[in-house]
Amino acid sequence: MKRQAIAEALRDGIAEEMERDEAVFCIGEDIAVPGGWGGAFTVTLGLEKRFPDRMINTPIAELGFFGVAVGAAMMGMRPIADVQYGDFLFLASDQIINNAAKMRYMSGGRCQVPLVMRAPVGATGRGSQHAQSMERYFTGVPGLKVVAISNAYDAKGILKSAIRDNNPVLIFEHKLLYGSKGARVESGAIDATSEIPDHDYVVPLDQAALRRPGSDVTILSWLLMLHFSLDAAQQLTKEGIAAEVLDVRSLAPIDYQTVGDSVKKTGRVVIVEEGPKTGGVSAEIAAGIQERFAQYLKAPVIRVASPDIPVPFSPILENAYRPSVAQIVQAVRAVTTPHAKPQRRKG
Amino acid sequence: MTFELKMPDLSTTGSPIKVLRWLVAVGDFVERGQALLDVETDKATMEVEALNSGKLLEQLVSAGQEASAGEVLAIIGEASAQSITRTSESGHAEEPYDRDLLLNLYRRMLLIRQFEDRVKSLFLEGIMPGTIHQCQGQEATAVGVCAALKENDFITSTFRGHGHALAKGLTVQEMLDELFGAITGCCTGKGGSMHMGNLEKGMIPGIAIVAGGIPVATGMALAFKMRKTQQVVACFFGDGGVAEGAFHEAVNMAALWSLPVLFVCENNLYGASTRIDQVMKNTTVSDRAASYGFRGETVDGNDLLAVYDAAERAVEECRTGQGPVLLELLTYRRTGHSRRDPCHYQSKEERAAWSANDPIVRFAQMLLAGGQVDQTDLDGIREKIDYEIESAVEQAKTAPQPALDDLLTDVYAGGEPV
Repeated sequence: MKRQAIAEALRDGIAEEMERDEAVFCIGEDIAVPGGWGGAFTVTLGLEKRFPDRMINTPIAELGFFGVAVGAAMMGMRPIADVQYGDFLFLASDQIINNAAKMRYMSGGRCQVPLVMRAPVGATGRGSQHAQSMERYFTGVPGLKVVAISNAYDAKGILKSAIRDNNPVLIFEHKLLYGSKGARVESGAIDATSEIPDHDYVVPLDQAALRRPGSDVTILSWLLMLHFSLDAAQQLTKEGIAAEVLDVRSLAPIDYQTVGDSVKKTGRVVIVEEGPKTGGVSAEIAAGIQERFAQYLKAPVIRVASPDIPVPFSPILENAYRPSVAQIVQAVRAVTTPHAKPQRRKG
Repeated sequence: MTFELKMPDLSTTGSPIKVLRWLVAVGDFVERGQALLDVETDKATMEVEALNSGKLLEQLVSAGQEASAGEVLAIIGEASAQSITRTSESGHAEEPYDRDLLLNLYRRMLLIRQFEDRVKSLFLEGIMPGTIHQCQGQEATAVGVCAALKENDFITSTFRGHGHALAKGLTVQEMLDELFGAITGCCTGKGGSMHMGNLEKGMIPGIAIVAGGIPVATGMALAFKMRKTQQVVACFFGDGGVAEGAFHEAVNMAALWSLPVLFVCENNLYGASTRIDQVMKNTTVSDRAASYGFRGETVDGNDLLAVYDAAERAVEECRTGQGPVLLELLTYRRTGHSRRDPCHYQSKEERAAWSANDPIVRFAQMLLAGGQVDQTDLDGIREKIDYEIESAVEQAKTAPQPALDDLLTDVYAGGEPV
């Protein structure tokens, strides 16, 4: 066992998979420059020394190199393509949505695209265009699997599952959770380190994880908001509220089995999402819960999300933009307080 | 059949024009567009190009002599039985083409033409679903390029992919079945006209987003290079695709990494209804290759053997680590962009000129002039093709349609969506 941050765990995971399978390679901008950064957040640092032929450093051409990754994947390679910032996925989205996600279906199952895509997201003092929570734009794309990692153990295990999966998998990572070091350290970073086993392991791509058991309310969140939700749950114990916290983790498909088990137990749900409320992943989850578990709900599902605005720069505004622990606490109080209950019909 | 090469009207004063030197010799096979001689007018020195391909039979004006505009300079054509030969860069004849190869190339082109014409009639009859983007008039580009590829080489195509698919070896049946939405189609009815493909035949499904296949082909070539498989990918796209950012991004990477990819721009002058000179200042697409540091070449895309020879050279370069190559094939779409497009944006004169330059007619004339092939051979090929297509049409009309359960399959590998 060793304690690692997400960046290190991903790096080890990539290296181990490259050792395990010659078809695995990395492709992206600034990922393999001696003396460089190892990608924007140090994940691939030094890998070019170990795998000089399989660390493909590209021009700044997201549409192009995501297409290159799709083509290589269709010919049997297992590329790991990363963007420096999730916001750049818009440039690559034609290749991701029109080609990677659809190729299998429109070929009648005869083609496959075993492609891993990694994208850092989250508001981190960089203004509007290096900050967006991109999950919402890809969770409604049939053919894609979308996951979000919140700790180092999952990072490595999910990455390995994604590499070994025969579908395109988009992994969202949060800039404040990487634990990047040196010149790439992030101010405001949160500890997301884990004990990492020495043996090979994988974490499934389609399962939510119970992070804190509780009986009064279910808090669903992922990435940075998971950590905020755990803080909120800890605070709520002082008020006698036992919040159960689930790391949704698998954003497409959503693990309604695990979510449902919790909802059936608590009957109350708060979904927390960084990113604008309108059209968010939380909207989909709320609707999915309504459709499946309405009879178990003791109160309407509440969402905590960012306002419907671009991400601001000024730290004061950015902190107001991002959902806070206090807002989550408030939402849980609202959903668990008796007068907040909706009128319920008998029978 | 022979063609007379006449002195063009180059002089502004009507004075005689002096022949400086011949660039080819009697007996050479010359290609349409090839410079045959240098001449000198009162203003300048310039080249005279061949207007037809064929064997140079006679030179009627010697170097140093003068000729007036309109005077016959040479006789081209009436090739002998052995004269349909490859031409080297210098224009000198090399080994002759194999007769079976020539007939097979002819058969492939005619198969595409007959297939497309039949599909159009099926569509207009209203019994075939969907929309169609056809390639009548562009048969030589698909056939010439694919003939230069090996079976395990790959192609990528566009929404106008029927010709590419037939040229790469997909069967009439699997394509017609696909067009009818049948489960027996090459994509089990889930792809349709715009996504024809069959991995086993070396063709990924057509990518119907303009230029979307260019980065994908580049990635396929990267895979071939990383695995040292010696495979090549030919990436078909139209002149319209050149304006997309995907073209720029992908060819830059292909050049940077010397990838085995042949970029084939079928320049048919129109992106949908918009003429090429309305969307690019430099309408010579092959010029772009130089700016990325690799070789580009413009070829008469209606001259099957010119396409084939250029593709063979390019494929060889790709296979030996000297790729990529950009081939610009000048051709013309004789049918609408899609469905019932009446092509009012094309002038009658332009359409007539290109009709007279039909790749199949030209090739047939060359074959007949070559003497190895007679009209009976060609008629026999046509009969077989028509029979093959009609049989396939009848079968496709009653081919099994997908079950409704098939709706939800093939979305994900190793498990179906919830």
